[in-house]
Amino acid sequence: MTEEAPVVAEVDVSQYCPKGEVLVVAEHILGELQPVTLELLGAGRLLADKMEKPLISIVMGHNLGDIPQRLIEHGADRVYVADHPELECYRTLPYRRVVCDFLESLPEPPHTCLLGSTTTGRDLAPRIAAHFDTGLTADCTELDIGPYEHKSKVDPSKIGLYPNCLYAIRPSFGESLKARILGPWKNPQMATTRPGVMIPLKSDTNRKGEIIKLDVQFKEEDSRLSVADTVREIAKGVKLTEADVIISGGYGMGTKEGFNLLYELAKCFPNSAVGASRKVVDLGWIPYQHQVGQTGKTVRPKLYIACGISGAIQHRVGMSKSTMILAINKDADAPIFKFAHHGIVGDVYQVLPELIKQFKAVQSGREVEAVVSAH
Amino acid sequence: MARSYNIFVMVKQVPDQGSKAGINPDGTIDRARAKRMLNPFDRYALQAALHVKKKYGGTVTAISMGPPPAVEILLEALEHGVDRGFLLSDRRLAASDTLATAYALYKVIQYVGKFDFIFCGLQTTDGDTAQVGPQLAERLNLPQVTYCEDFSIENEKLHARRIIEGGYQKVVVDPPVLVTVANSYHPLEYKSFAGTYRVQQLQRNPEELGKFIKTIDLDLVGADIERCGLKGSPTIVAATEKVGEIGGSCVVHQGHSPEELVQELLKSSSIKDYLVAS
Repeated sequence: MTEEAPVVAEVDVSQYCPKGEVLVVAEHILGELQPVTLELLGAGRLLADKMEKPLISIVMGHNLGDIPQRLIEHGADRVYVADHPELECYRTLPYRRVVCDFLESLPEPPHTCLLGSTTTGRDLAPRIAAHFDTGLTADCTELDIGPYEHKSKVDPSKIGLYPNCLYAIRPSFGESLKARILGPWKNPQMATTRPGVMIPLKSDTNRKGEIIKLDVQFKEEDSRLSVADTVREIAKGVKLTEADVIISGGYGMGTKEGFNLLYELAKCFPNSAVGASRKVVDLGWIPYQHQVGQTGKTVRPKLYIACGISGAIQHRVGMSKSTMILAINKDADAPIFKFAHHGIVGDVYQVLPELIKQFKAVQSGREVEAVVSAH
Repeated sequence: MARSYNIFVMVKQVPDQGSKAGINPDGTIDRARAKRMLNPFDRYALQAALHVKKKYGGTVTAISMGPPPAVEILLEALEHGVDRGFLLSDRRLAASDTLATAYALYKVIQYVGKFDFIFCGLQTTDGDTAQVGPQLAERLNLPQVTYCEDFSIENEKLHARRIIEGGYQKVVVDPPVLVTVANSYHPLEYKSFAGTYRVQQLQRNPEELGKFIKTIDLDLVGADIERCGLKGSPTIVAATEKVGEIGGSCVVHQGHSPEELVQELLKSSSIKDYLVAS
């Protein structure tokens, strides 16, 4: 797309930032806006409305086309656009420079700053947080605004009642607890959320907002790293987040080779993909891209078959919104049976081959029926 | 032509969540009783560091922060072929969040000296944030390659492949650089007999061992105490709540042969509907 981003005004940004905005750092890959950005705008809109403050967004890139406009249609009140050839594809240092300079140019930092918990957001957010010595909470499953009274005497300068704090809520791993993490002492209060967790607003083409162009400047040290190539792999099967059916394996699969059974079961379903629990990814049985859960992908398939997965909170937050969950586990007390819809208590190595056999029988039966009725 | 790279690898000891030891009935972890292990992601960082040493030449220094038992993972690193280790251990580090952790590690790195590469695991299994690596790079004003799944060094430049959403990116960068290694990188090779033997011998001779593994504190590295531990942490855990148990609605099939169980499932569920394309 060669069309210039529509620029409403080129102004001194300082006059546009009264205290307390919510900022979403938008993300795209080579001009393809990432869904997590729209989800963050949805979440950010709720936070901003609760504080009666504007929702702003910054997008960096080159020839961004209609992206700034789409950010407004999805909830942003103001969009700051940094358009420069240096920003064409994501690199830590130039992007970090633009965001940090932008935040420093404001008379006061935004209240909250949100990024996607993607390979980009997780690369960039900690740099910004460290630069401003501000708090950052990773992989939040809920965000909210609320009061907090700090009484701890460890650091007397922090004691006080803080009316509007960012509540960054995430499960604490290995524990069936949700932790509310906050740090109202310094703005922006930062958080990342995984793709698929927050709900975007419906696009509203009548929404009005401002688009403001940013002047960007780089230092020589910002180009210490260069990108030789960016490759999107489309052919490698169905994307986990887009599959209708996901067959997932956990530690109960016993071995790396056991996953072959899952791929075989997946073949029974159109538009299916294989997922995994975090433990088996840690063990190297299957690449990280297959991981479902708080630190993996959040999925909402029509059918989720969990094989040898105990159902720890880490995993549950990534798949509990599946329309139907079938769990297969030999431990009848496994937590997964508490939230699955159907469960089979048994050894995966006995149950899975039987599932595959009977599923195939159903399918060939259907085909026969179909052929008969066609005649 | 071997070049002598200074290679740092950051490692952390974490509770072994696969083991039931130290898991309280309410689901919290008793870190004193929990089984301890090297953070699984750090095994890939260790492999990357040792690969640079083996293929391109250099020395590997492992750096960790934690209570005194964390020295175990430095010994383990030594068994794998790391040359020396530093453990930053100090009570004043308690309750550090990622920012305070990155600051403390930054001071350790300044104390230890010059480097060409710093390898970190992608994240830890206890904190799960993936933040400390990039925050450390920010403190050190370094370029970074996160989610690195493979790399080579050509003409003294690091050529790395990093994961991005739905694909990968190939990047080129001049050292010094900080790299976080994804678990799609090569798994850690087995310890050599020589490595294990060397560590066994060292453990019999504390004085000799002290030459290779040093435990240091915040005063020694010249850290500003105000920026460490709880005081240096901009975030706190303000509240925890038990995650509500859902369900009770699960239809559980058990106690029959696998064949019968699957038949029951097919009868009682709508799973058949997913088997054919709609």
